[in-house]
Amino acid sequence: MNFVVPDFYPAAAEIFVAIMALVVMLASTFARGVRWLAYALTQFTLIAAAFVTIYTLKGDVSYTFSNLFIGDLLGDLLKLLIYFSMAIALLYGRGYLADRNIDKPEYYVLALLMTLGMMVMVTANHMLPLYIGLEMMSLGLYAMVAFDRDSARSTEAGMKYFVLGALASGLLLYGMSMIYGATGSLEFSGIANAVYHQAANKTVLLFGIVFLMAGISFKLGVVPFHMWVPDVYQGAPSAVTLIIATAPKLAAFAMAVRLLIWGLFDVAEQWQSMLMFVAVLSIILGNLAAIAQTNLKRMLAYSGISHMGFMLLGLLSGVVEGDRHYALNAYSSAMFYAVSYVIMSLASFGMIILLSRAGFEADSIDDFKGLNKRSPWFAAMMMFVMFSMAGIPFFIGFFAKLSVLQAVVAAGYLWIAIIAVVMSVIGAFYYLRVVKVMYFDPPVDPAPIHAPAELRVLLSANGLAIAALGLAPQALMSVCAYALLASL
Amino acid sequence: MEFKTFVFYFLAVILVFAALRVITARNPVHAALYLVLAFFNASGIWLLLQAEFLAITLVMVYVGAVMVLFLFVVMMLDINLDRLRQGFWSYLPVGSLIGVLMAVEMAMVLGGRYFGLDAMPAPPDPQAGYSNTRELGRVLYTDYVYPFELASLVLLVAMVAAVALTLRKRKGTKYINPSEQVAVKREGRVELVKMPAEKD
Amino acid sequence: MLENYFPVLVFILVGLGFGVAPVILGRVLAPYRPDGEKLSPYECGFEAFEDARMKFDVRYYLIAILFILFDLEIAFLFPWATVFQEFIAAGELAWFVFGSVMVFLAILVIGYIVEWKNGALDWE
Repeated sequence: MNFVVPDFYPAAAEIFVAIMALVVMLASTFARGVRWLAYALTQFTLIAAAFVTIYTLKGDVSYTFSNLFIGDLLGDLLKLLIYFSMAIALLYGRGYLADRNIDKPEYYVLALLMTLGMMVMVTANHMLPLYIGLEMMSLGLYAMVAFDRDSARSTEAGMKYFVLGALASGLLLYGMSMIYGATGSLEFSGIANAVYHQAANKTVLLFGIVFLMAGISFKLGVVPFHMWVPDVYQGAPSAVTLIIATAPKLAAFAMAVRLLIWGLFDVAEQWQSMLMFVAVLSIILGNLAAIAQTNLKRMLAYSGISHMGFMLLGLLSGVVEGDRHYALNAYSSAMFYAVSYVIMSLASFGMIILLSRAGFEADSIDDFKGLNKRSPWFAAMMMFVMFSMAGIPFFIGFFAKLSVLQAVVAAGYLWIAIIAVVMSVIGAFYYLRVVKVMYFDPPVDPAPIHAPAELRVLLSANGLAIAALGLAPQALMSVCAYALLASL
Repeated sequence: MEFKTFVFYFLAVILVFAALRVITARNPVHAALYLVLAFFNASGIWLLLQAEFLAITLVMVYVGAVMVLFLFVVMMLDINLDRLRQGFWSYLPVGSLIGVLMAVEMAMVLGGRYFGLDAMPAPPDPQAGYSNTRELGRVLYTDYVYPFELASLVLLVAMVAAVALTLRKRKGTKYINPSEQVAVKREGRVELVKMPAEKD
Repeated sequence: MLENYFPVLVFILVGLGFGVAPVILGRVLAPYRPDGEKLSPYECGFEAFEDARMKFDVRYYLIAILFILFDLEIAFLFPWATVFQEFIAAGELAWFVFGSVMVFLAILVIGYIVEWKNGALDWE
């Protein structure tokens, strides 16, 4: 046996979050009466984990746990963004959950374990931890979607999500086993090695990639594996929809990147053509279907499908006829897109939570009518979010779209760029419709907005960040590019 | 035919039959019991492949525990089969066409040409005293310690989720607390009241 | 290697025989004269009130899922039982392996404590 005791240092953040999840469980059990305890400890954990991650940050790539774990800048950056978006999502959702009497401590325990699952996915260097992390994240999400036991919709959404998610996990496992069969390795570098030396059976490998792609597409929620997205977004409590639409997208991005780029880069042209199909269909279907929606959560679900399609545009334009010069640019544009989508998503679902009260869901577009009369400030914030999602200059969403389109054009797929632009012009219609009802329609319910102060402050900061990052997108873009460069 | 091959085909035929009955049986409880049969035969096939640990785990976890859950769920849901079967015949042509197409495609790709014995050489014959369980143990707690610990956390997630979703305190349930019963004192139950004697 | 399983095969056959033979014997030897009254479900002499297949309480499900979880936990311990001696003999890694299993158990014991405290094991 040539095993050496692993170095725990690179995984310090994971170990910390795992221990804290257990602490939160025990603390909230033995102090059941203290309602804020689980929430406070969870927020503390997320903030402290960020410090641990920054403290253990290293510029170079380190492996531990017999190469199952990879510590690199890409992973660390994504982990920081995951803590950040989870912390904000929990903060936004707190009052919402309390109003509906579902702010049980288990919710926060699941949120922490879900965060751990995402961290494991982001730092996986092997199919096994990748899959276990994915399951840890998904199991937590399924339960959270069904958390509102008194709502039939919530339970139904949880059930749907669970059954389809289990199917997608099965497809993913099937793909992984085929890739293992073809390359003889579960470790990404081993797979890359076998592919590079052409030791892998091409047909089996290709079949494996198809199944992997199905699993990834499901988790990202893109066509043709998008059926769950609108129902789950609408059925889940808004606080949970907020979580589904943010951090897990980053984790799914990491999964795609690790599998496709770390493992299967040498057959990039094969999976790129599959991604092309998926991305173009998502952009078309997402934008067209969103127009018909009257429910804002459903509309945002379809818009999320198209956004994920846009994000994939970056991943599919890395390699052109064996030329890899564009790869770094293309992948960092995809990452930038994912990050900016998460920021916009936080704000958009945050607005729904802001307008909701006990016993009332502000999830219909009509609920935003005349928001300008009720609160000009938050109407402006919502306008920022909608403009940014529509890709109107100079908000962050515009630069996100611009950078992936540049990557696509550089890769020579002009037709995809044209479809994408046409579709985002069509898509601008339904975003602007929300702005129109806010400013030009009379309010249905003229009551001023009641919301906790921290929600108001953070949501304002979130909206302003969308505008501010739009004025200076370069910093975030170069961070993404640098993280990828240091990790690849 | 070698005896081993005979055993394999014997188990495989029962497995396929049982699996077919799982999806064709009218009574969901029967379907679940056929699934038990399928699991037993699959574990027999794994034994032939010398994966003893997996075979035992399959019997212990799936037959022993998962099937209990399945049966509970089947009984809990009170499935109305007639309603489920509505539309079965109208979807059958499309469904079977797609199914057959997929099966043919997969057979073409995954047929003997790629997964045959020459493409995937058999592993060397194990030495005497080889134990599949021991081989797993050698790496599970060392090289794979990371996923091993994560597995326990996944189980924990399942536990928390199951408790959070199904445990609801019913209001107004009356139940006996034996420790309170035992700890009861005379003072808690009987009150002696002084009162003047009633004249009669 | 198949001959190693001969005792298992014998065991299965004997077990099957014990299970099946009495049923067949009972059917063959006992008198069998059914009629409608005999075959109807017995409910204290009344006509049956309802279908025997009633819905189960969701709490059975909770018990079953908790059983699966701890069953899986046990499955992870089997390989440990077979190799721990070997690790002790080899020396250096014994404590590491012991620790890794103890952490695994500790995590699930915490889960067990929590569900016990929260009343998931009570039957109201």
